[in-house]
Amino acid sequence: MRIFDLGQRTLRRRDILALIGGGVAAGALGLPALAQEAKKGGVLMVAAPANPSSLDPATGGAGSDHSILWTMYDTLVEWDYDTLKPKPGMAKWSYPNPNTMVLDITSGIQFHDGTPLDAEAVKFNLERNRSDQRSNVKPDLASVESIEVTGPLQVTLKLKNPDTALPAILSDRAGMMVSPTNIKALGTDTDRKPVGAGPWKFVRWNDNEIIVVARHENYWRKGRPYLDGIEFNIITENATALRSVVAGQNDMAFQLPARLKPVIERAKDLAMVSSPTLYCIQVYFNYARAPLDNLKVRQAINFALDRETFVKATLGGLGEPARMTLPSSHWAYNKDVAGTYPHDPERAKKLLAEAGYKDGLEMTIGGYTDQDSVRRGEVIQDQLGKVGIRLKFTRGTIAEISAQFFAQEKKFDLLVSAWTGRPDPSMTYALGFDKGAYYNAGRTADPELSKLILESRVSEDLAKRAEVFAKIQRITVEQALSAPLAFQFELDALSSKVKGFKPNLLGKPKFENISLA
Amino acid sequence: MLNAARLHIIGRRLLQAIPVVVLSTFIVFGLLKLVPGDVAVTLAGDNASEQRIAEIRELYGLNQPFLLQYGSWLAKAVQGDLSNSLVSNEAVLTSIQRCLPHTLLIVALALFTALLIGVPLGIAAATKPGSWIDSIVMAIASLGVAVPNFWLGMLLVAFFSLQLNWLPATGAVAFTKDPWASLSHAILPALALASGGVAEVARQLRSSLVEILSSQQVRTLHAKGLPPSSILWRHGLKNVSVNLLTVISLLANRMLAATVVVEAVFAIPGMGGLIVNAAMHRDFPVVQGVVFTMVLIVVSLNLLTDILYSVLDPRIAT
Repeated sequence: MRIFDLGQRTLRRRDILALIGGGVAAGALGLPALAQEAKKGGVLMVAAPANPSSLDPATGGAGSDHSILWTMYDTLVEWDYDTLKPKPGMAKWSYPNPNTMVLDITSGIQFHDGTPLDAEAVKFNLERNRSDQRSNVKPDLASVESIEVTGPLQVTLKLKNPDTALPAILSDRAGMMVSPTNIKALGTDTDRKPVGAGPWKFVRWNDNEIIVVARHENYWRKGRPYLDGIEFNIITENATALRSVVAGQNDMAFQLPARLKPVIERAKDLAMVSSPTLYCIQVYFNYARAPLDNLKVRQAINFALDRETFVKATLGGLGEPARMTLPSSHWAYNKDVAGTYPHDPERAKKLLAEAGYKDGLEMTIGGYTDQDSVRRGEVIQDQLGKVGIRLKFTRGTIAEISAQFFAQEKKFDLLVSAWTGRPDPSMTYALGFDKGAYYNAGRTADPELSKLILESRVSEDLAKRAEVFAKIQRITVEQALSAPLAFQFELDALSSKVKGFKPNLLGKPKFENISLA
Repeated sequence: MLNAARLHIIGRRLLQAIPVVVLSTFIVFGLLKLVPGDVAVTLAGDNASEQRIAEIRELYGLNQPFLLQYGSWLAKAVQGDLSNSLVSNEAVLTSIQRCLPHTLLIVALALFTALLIGVPLGIAAATKPGSWIDSIVMAIASLGVAVPNFWLGMLLVAFFSLQLNWLPATGAVAFTKDPWASLSHAILPALALASGGVAEVARQLRSSLVEILSSQQVRTLHAKGLPPSSILWRHGLKNVSVNLLTVISLLANRMLAATVVVEAVFAIPGMGGLIVNAAMHRDFPVVQGVVFTMVLIVVSLNLLTDILYSVLDPRIAT
């Protein structure tokens, strides 16, 4: 049909971007090299998938906020786009001894209101983040005993216990610095009037409609940002968001579902970017009670799931089969346990029989009502059905079903949902598997696991930390504490005039490298 | 038009509206509290712990008794303070002032379109019942009712925006800011919304007009020698005007509700998007504010309809 067939795209940038990081490959193919000086100026129009929960990093809570927050707030620590290894941001960190962390702040940084970003400002922020009544990041800084200003640009954190997850934590909300002047002036009214030190400053926010940011003239990184401003048009319906890009009203839509891939491919002048993320689609278990307190049942589910088929059927191939809660490109991935659960229905049936369910069993499962979740649920239901596990589905909104499964009610044996990933893997395990953790529906944990989670924060050396994470992953995989299914790839649609965009492993786009042709 | 008797009626109706508003906001509030999950979970964010959720309940007064929470909302609302969104902290009144014009524009435009197309179709069908015109009109009408408006919306975008590039595919512009841009954004959503309305108007008009035109009164008019056009315009349409008004009034109410879906398809930041988003997060001040406004609008529309009834047909006692 002509209406939908809008011609061939000339650029297949996605193929390149998905494999290698841009520049070299583009040059080799004779495309305009990315090394060319990026043009300054222009306003990027972005279709954003959700209204932010707040523009104050400490009081907000939604994972979808980050892409917007990062435009206004720079973080003390940043990370490598491809592996999420922490690297210095506005500050360099060091550990003179395991219980002390020192932050040395880059000189000459100013907030949008002119307030200098110095040691006092950093201390003010960290104190606020760990003690303010409205702060949602208190648990992130739980290991901090005291914060001292030890120089005009130096802050020293005394720790209750060694915590090498802090650099990664300071690349997230807790490390986004807000202007102390603004906080003192506004009191609790900071959610809608943010002042940070990021490349752009806040202009306007209309709920569910638009957020506008404009260049911060005194940005500390010289020559940046390229864009004069960004307009986030909030469009929660992803198909509509994509149509707005096809129609040329927006320049970019991000975090699109895989089912829209053919639409991007058919549209002319659109580039598709797809790359791995930490976003893990998985089945959560409540293993504190029967039948999932039985290891054999949990293992049977893991053997019964065909992850390759799942990726094909629900993600159109835009994903990586998940063997644990970290993707294979992550620095802490343990490849030794990756082969624990091949697709083996016979083995699953045998394990069920050994567990006393020779004729199969029925379990309750919660899921969400959106199109993609329903499809995932159907595939899982079918795969488990083949080994005799009959799932009884209850569907509802994310808030409703998640609360029923994770909070006090403890409805359902299983929940099909996702883990959105965290900058430091220790956060993932502490929040999802530790004793009493909210995302551990059963609240119980192997003491060995709890010990290892603490241990994972002792060494500063990533290789040593990776060894501890390998042990943690061995436990979560061998004890089958969840059934990870797939890491969903990020899928973005960009108009041809958008240059320099680079996706990251966290799957939450940053706009710092973008320029407009 | 506004004589003493009618003013009396308006006053009485407005008084009757008070319990309607209170009851509807109370029921919605109750429903929001009955379904599991609450705004504290949203507020606590992705790193939620049970302890943090409990803290937030305390902080925002979410653990107070149901009636107390509703009472304090109502006490503020009657003073014109619709509170702030619990999630984003925007004043609910600000959100509504911004969103309502978008929704009203689409509904008004859709209603206008429904009449513009539906009335001629209905008349054409009624004057020649059983003819091919009648069959075509009724086929269009059935199709209009059957086609889901969100699907029609997507087709309209695919054709008029993506293919022809005539009209914007998404978004909305305030009428006060740029009337032309505002209308061009509203045309496609209004057309999508109007499809069911066209059908409804044409069908209702046809059936009541056919009834009138085959009545003994009209037969007498024919016998008297009046030309058919004069019979149709002076006697026929006047007699169906009350029916038509009922259809319009019902249609307006239904379109207000249907904007929820159409707004999502066209990414219009209107009342529908506002309430859906708020309900998802159990952001009850926003939900309450929207319900409150919508109830007021519906009550006013019904009141206006009743008054117009008595204008059109003085026999109707209001």
